[in-house]
Amino acid sequence: MWKEIITLFQAYMGKGLIVGWFLLSVVYLLVQEKRKNIRILFVYAPILLLLVFFNPLFAKIIYTMVDTEIYYRVLWLIPMTPVIAYAAAQLYNGLRGKVRIAFAAACVALIMVSGSYIYQDLNFHRAENLYHMPQSVVDICDAIEIEGREVTAAFPLEMLQFVRQYSPVICMPYGREQLVGQWNFFRDFLYLEMEKEVIDAAELARLSKEASCHYVILHEGKQVKGDLLAYDFVLFDKIDGYLIYKDTTMNFTLEPR
Amino acid sequence: MSVVILAAWLLVLPVVVGGLMAVDGNRFRKNLPFLWTMGQVLLWALFQLICVPFVLMERTLSDVVTVYGTASLGLALLSLLLGFVRYRRKHTVSVSVVEEKRKETRLWHCFLWALFAGLLIFQLVQAVRMTYYDGDDAFYVATSTLAEESDQMYVKMPYTGGYTGLDARHGIAPFPIWIAFLARISGIRTVTMAHVVAPLALIPMTYGIYYLIGKKLFPGKGERLPLFLVLTEILTLFGDYSIYSVENFMIARSRQGKAAIGSILLPVIFFLLIMILERLQERSKVEIYWWLLLEASIMAACLCSTLGTLLSCLLLFVVGGCAAVCYRKWRILLPLALCCLPAVCYAILYLLQD
Repeated sequence: MWKEIITLFQAYMGKGLIVGWFLLSVVYLLVQEKRKNIRILFVYAPILLLLVFFNPLFAKIIYTMVDTEIYYRVLWLIPMTPVIAYAAAQLYNGLRGKVRIAFAAACVALIMVSGSYIYQDLNFHRAENLYHMPQSVVDICDAIEIEGREVTAAFPLEMLQFVRQYSPVICMPYGREQLVGQWNFFRDFLYLEMEKEVIDAAELARLSKEASCHYVILHEGKQVKGDLLAYDFVLFDKIDGYLIYKDTTMNFTLEPR
Repeated sequence: MSVVILAAWLLVLPVVVGGLMAVDGNRFRKNLPFLWTMGQVLLWALFQLICVPFVLMERTLSDVVTVYGTASLGLALLSLLLGFVRYRRKHTVSVSVVEEKRKETRLWHCFLWALFAGLLIFQLVQAVRMTYYDGDDAFYVATSTLAEESDQMYVKMPYTGGYTGLDARHGIAPFPIWIAFLARISGIRTVTMAHVVAPLALIPMTYGIYYLIGKKLFPGKGERLPLFLVLTEILTLFGDYSIYSVENFMIARSRQGKAAIGSILLPVIFFLLIMILERLQERSKVEIYWWLLLEASIMAACLCSTLGTLLSCLLLFVVGGCAAVCYRKWRILLPLALCCLPAVCYAILYLLQD
């Protein structure tokens, strides 16, 4: 348990420099801060909360109630940002003249060096549209949607998390749960087939029909052994580098949802 | 038209509802960030009160829209009425806003405020221009989209669309339904509401609360407040030292309820505790509206995430314990415990469903 807590704390700290500045700020406020209410909130409570976080007994209780991976959120109770900013502003107040401006600039520079610029995160992308979804997902969903009913489609891995954010009328035989290893979800056979290096068209067609898929979407670069067209599929469309196969044996008529 | 409705619902209505707390003696009663943020907290608490029973009874989103919409407008009307009565009785004469109106003309001071405004605008522009692909959106945003389109709440698996029966565990913290509500009343597509509009409202709200905290930390003293705000912005912009940091959640995942807890509701609770502890220090009575706001913020934390119940109560427990020891006033623990009651109820519901 102790090891898990330490691992989580290390993951939360990242490089650790911002947490370092926070601890220094707490020490500074412990010495300098006169107002009791601020001392309670910015010094005593954070120290106590850190002790609570590192308490294996407390962690054990929380682990039984919520997912273990979110225990780090207890650290959100520690007001790191306001404490650092407050301590810096108080230090600034003790200075005079141009030294003040130099100190403020130094604080900004130190934070920039210690932290990591958020928009450089690899998960940030330039938005392709006002939905903030990949344009290929938008185009494919728009193409296969049928007004007045739901359709089921098997999508490749890279689209799974987006499809149902954009269109709730497109159902999927498997979803994002397949991507998260620790959730221990049943691995869907259709998903496994879709993600094989070389897809077997006969097996894909069988599994797709079993899952009542109206469409199967494959990247055009994906290698397929055999031809889906031989199993009652037609090439419905080709959009943004993806091939959309339509199963002609499925029911496409309007039905009440 | 959609923009007007959203502006009314996300900017004007919270300010009007926040007016309920603009009573005599409240130094912040004419402070726009106070009215806006506290009004939104009250509205979230109201949403939680109304939505959870509707989810558990498997009622529709339309029912929630009708009841919550009417109740919110009713609350706004009540606030306007009370404001009018106070105005008529001439109880709104300012006694404490002089310092807020003080005009600092020094260049450096102005520069800091301009820098703060510039960095805030930059973050808002980035919120529209950039997108963060997060896997959890496949659950939360899809829940909103599904509710808005199907009118049903928490009965289908957001990942695939299959029926699951009532998912009461997640339905106890229906923040995605609030997003669906905004999409329904404005007519804007839910996915845009979650990824674009929500950050535009929630990011400034965080800084609104930091502004309030700053006002308490630096009462009436020129440059420290804008410097404090600029530093909070820099710390946020460079807060990607870990994917777990509050700052990462605030900028990258603002549409998710858990981000609102870390970046809005916990700071709100901090602000309210500053006010309450200040009263204790002054040995004066803690006005009822501070307790009401604390209660509302804990309700709002429960709306955002099931973990909000635990986090808000833990914070109150730790700060309350420290205050009781430091001020030797054990009586403070009773109202704090009462504020935790709704969270305890939601936690019990959660454990029963789990």
